[in-house]
Amino acid sequence: MPYMSEAYRLAQWLSGNASDAEDIVQEAAIRAFRGIKGFGAVNARAWSLTIVRNTALSWLTKNRPRKVTYINDLNPAEQQEIEYEGLHGTKVETPEDVVLFKADATAIQKALEQLPTQFREVIVLREINQMNYRDIAEITNVPIGTVMSRLSRGRQLLIALLGDQK
Amino acid sequence: MAALLQDNEELQLTAYCDGELDPAAAGEFERRLAADELLKARYTRLMSLRQAVRALPQVDLPSDLQAKIQARLKAETERSTAERPSNVGNVTVLRRRSWSFQALAASAVFGAVISGSVLKTIDRFGQEDTIASEVVAGHIRGLLAPQPFDIASSDRHTVKPWFTSRLPESPQVPDLAAQGFTLLGGRVDVINNRPVATIVYKHAAHTVSLTTLRPGQTVPEQTIAGYNVRSWSDGNFTYVAVGDLPSADLAVFEREFAAAAPAPEIKQ
Repeated sequence: MPYMSEAYRLAQWLSGNASDAEDIVQEAAIRAFRGIKGFGAVNARAWSLTIVRNTALSWLTKNRPRKVTYINDLNPAEQQEIEYEGLHGTKVETPEDVVLFKADATAIQKALEQLPTQFREVIVLREINQMNYRDIAEITNVPIGTVMSRLSRGRQLLIALLGDQK
Repeated sequence: MAALLQDNEELQLTAYCDGELDPAAAGEFERRLAADELLKARYTRLMSLRQAVRALPQVDLPSDLQAKIQARLKAETERSTAERPSNVGNVTVLRRRSWSFQALAASAVFGAVISGSVLKTIDRFGQEDTIASEVVAGHIRGLLAPQPFDIASSDRHTVKPWFTSRLPESPQVPDLAAQGFTLLGGRVDVINNRPVATIVYKHAAHTVSLTTLRPGQTVPEQTIAGYNVRSWSDGNFTYVAVGDLPSADLAVFEREFAAAAPAPEIKQ
């Protein structure tokens, strides 16, 4: 089952919970089963993950609304700040300020869970599923430029969150 | 303005870390990286963050999940069969008819077997992709080499015989200098395990490689690694033009080339 483990992994990261991930993957498999006729894409892997991602978001919105945070929930100014300005813009860094991360799994996992959904999903698709920008853009249904800026901002947010915990 | 510049740099850094910059931009970025301590430190930090994220323990697929899914899909199928007498809507009829195909294909995509037709489609797309990638790879290799051609000449009467002596089929080599595309020379690329002729032109600061393949192939218009790819065919060859110039300019190139290449000589 080549894509099943990946599908489950993505669901697990989006939901942050093993039993929710099981429900999501089951639901996604049934959606795939119903929607197979619409399968015109070349990339079966991206197609599978698209279904899992969309299923996860609607399942979470319905069952765990507090886990899904969209930047659209913020007011336009905050949204602007997160999307375009980020955290580094206001700070002057020197090479000595730049900290490296030890693989402190718990801290990183917690930080990842705190990220708004849009940022978390692109980071998971990139780092865990190791998809390229084009596939991530297809899966999350946004332009490639947005994938790039969300990855950039998402990583900055992660760095800031990890910095705060020190 | 400074914030904007920094923002752009951050995006470039991101794309560089993810291997999404085209070779020219990546080379340029590496030079900046070597010269800028802070940028290098930020790069190292991003890479250490990546390693930390990738090192996170990954959950394994629960062993009973697949069985659960099979059971639910079976239940779905049975339910839809049971609904048959009560439901006469057009949509349901359509849906039911392809049910077994759907079952087959869904299980394919989610793992078990990929049905032959899907595989064939993927294979065909894959092959076109491979040809385009190989042509672009030849172009990039040409740009990385000291010069992008094996035979340098702006004289079509030098390039054409050079091809003829090396390849079973060689294309017409028009000089399009008057139209803005100066003939630089030619080289032999290997596409799909066959040696083929590539003619190299210069247009302003851009290098254009025109690779000639056996006729009757389709290579979709696309962008690979930042290079535009445009393809057309005549009775003798399928041409694939590659370059970092705008696709509109490639379209002009196609028109000029097609107009200038006279009816091919019959091979003696």
